[in-house]
Amino acid sequence: MRIDKEKCTGCELCHPYCPVEAIATVEWEDESVSEIDQGECVECGNCLERSGICPVEAIYRPTLEWPRSLREHFSNPNAEHPSTTTMGRGTEEMKSNDVTGRYPRGISGVAVEMGRPGVGTSLRDVETVAMALAEMGVEFEEENPVSLLMADPKTGKFKEEVLGEKVLSLILEFKIQNDRLERVLKRIGEVSTRIDTVFSLDLINRVEPDGGIPGMAIAEKAGFSPRPNTKTNVGLGKPRFREV
Amino acid sequence: MLDSGSHDSERFEMTHSLHRRGSVKDLHEDYVLIFYTSKGINREGSDEKMKQFWHVLSHYEQDLVNFGNHHPNRSGGEPYNMEDLKKAKSQMNMAVFKDVEKLKACLQEIKERDFGISVVVSGLYGETKRICSEIGLAPHTVNLSLGIHGNKKKLPEEGVLEIHTMCGHGVVPFNLILEMVKEIKAGKTTCKEAAKKLSRMCDCGLFNPYRAEKILQKMTATK
Repeated sequence: MRIDKEKCTGCELCHPYCPVEAIATVEWEDESVSEIDQGECVECGNCLERSGICPVEAIYRPTLEWPRSLREHFSNPNAEHPSTTTMGRGTEEMKSNDVTGRYPRGISGVAVEMGRPGVGTSLRDVETVAMALAEMGVEFEEENPVSLLMADPKTGKFKEEVLGEKVLSLILEFKIQNDRLERVLKRIGEVSTRIDTVFSLDLINRVEPDGGIPGMAIAEKAGFSPRPNTKTNVGLGKPRFREV
Repeated sequence: MLDSGSHDSERFEMTHSLHRRGSVKDLHEDYVLIFYTSKGINREGSDEKMKQFWHVLSHYEQDLVNFGNHHPNRSGGEPYNMEDLKKAKSQMNMAVFKDVEKLKACLQEIKERDFGISVVVSGLYGETKRICSEIGLAPHTVNLSLGIHGNKKKLPEEGVLEIHTMCGHGVVPFNLILEMVKEIKAGKTTCKEAAKKLSRMCDCGLFNPYRAEKILQKMTATK
């Protein structure tokens, strides 16, 4: 996002709308005007159409070239990933598990939501976590648009040209057998101390016939405390996936 | 612990209602209902069912604190127009309830209509399990939130976080919430108006302005 300094009146109304504090007042031709730090801006569009706040229409969206364009694809909920023609940051995950069977019993789904909540993340931090997970033999979800940014999903190494980019959030998503879950969660705990940003962590489980959620005890053993609120698929989808 | 629109491209949203923060007491007023089609299984040909969902939801319109689909709502913080939603093409519909009993009644009606579309409830698991059991359903799959990790020094105070996480896309900025707090304290706006202004940022209709207003009241109460 950019601000036309000729139009800007320096009112600063747009400043609080930026989720990554990229807008600041600068002196320009003896005037105080707002400027967007291009290194920090994640191209989410909050300052433009979502806020509609600029009284003089000084804020505009320039045409973005690769790799900067990925900032918008991962940060603006209404932007489309051109290579996948998908929107959003993840997959259908468990929302449709009753019809897809994506997560059968014995398998957990894990999502590391980098930059969330509200902090944003550099791609270098994402790579740090991805490489730590890859060392554990984790296989990243191919349908997740993040996979397109990786040079080698087997090592978690990202393409060199994307490493200088920053996004509001991005999800590292994978499935893992329950008997390997504890070690992987512990590794996630370890790598969390080596990054400059935050992440929110998700754990998906097919509910057992007796109502049990196997991943709960495993997560607690690995040092994580599941929160009392969850997302729950209540099993109304059809055709229901036929489990073995 | 747990027992306590406008285009036709594919849209994969992930967990944007999962990490809502707050005390168990506060979360009792915050339940998201998601109606979700699956690509290649029941998305194709689902248009009529997606519209029918809104006909069911219209029976509970006065009980909803927000609702929408994945097309942006630019109505200045007002909820979507449900009559428009009844006509809209959509792959995912969402509604926010503040009363779990109303959610239960709605869920029962959806069950009886037998749409065959996946339904997800985001909220307190103990309550979700209870209402499911009372209407003859059982949780199929759960997504647990294992919290926030990493450099937590970058996080704001809990009240800000509680409001911010009502929009999983992260487009309700920390600083905008703090600006609203400042304006309320200065008498420039009310908690209700501020909550509406924050709700405007959420494109999907997942933000809970009813709860946000209460949090803002707490944050701005004179001690």
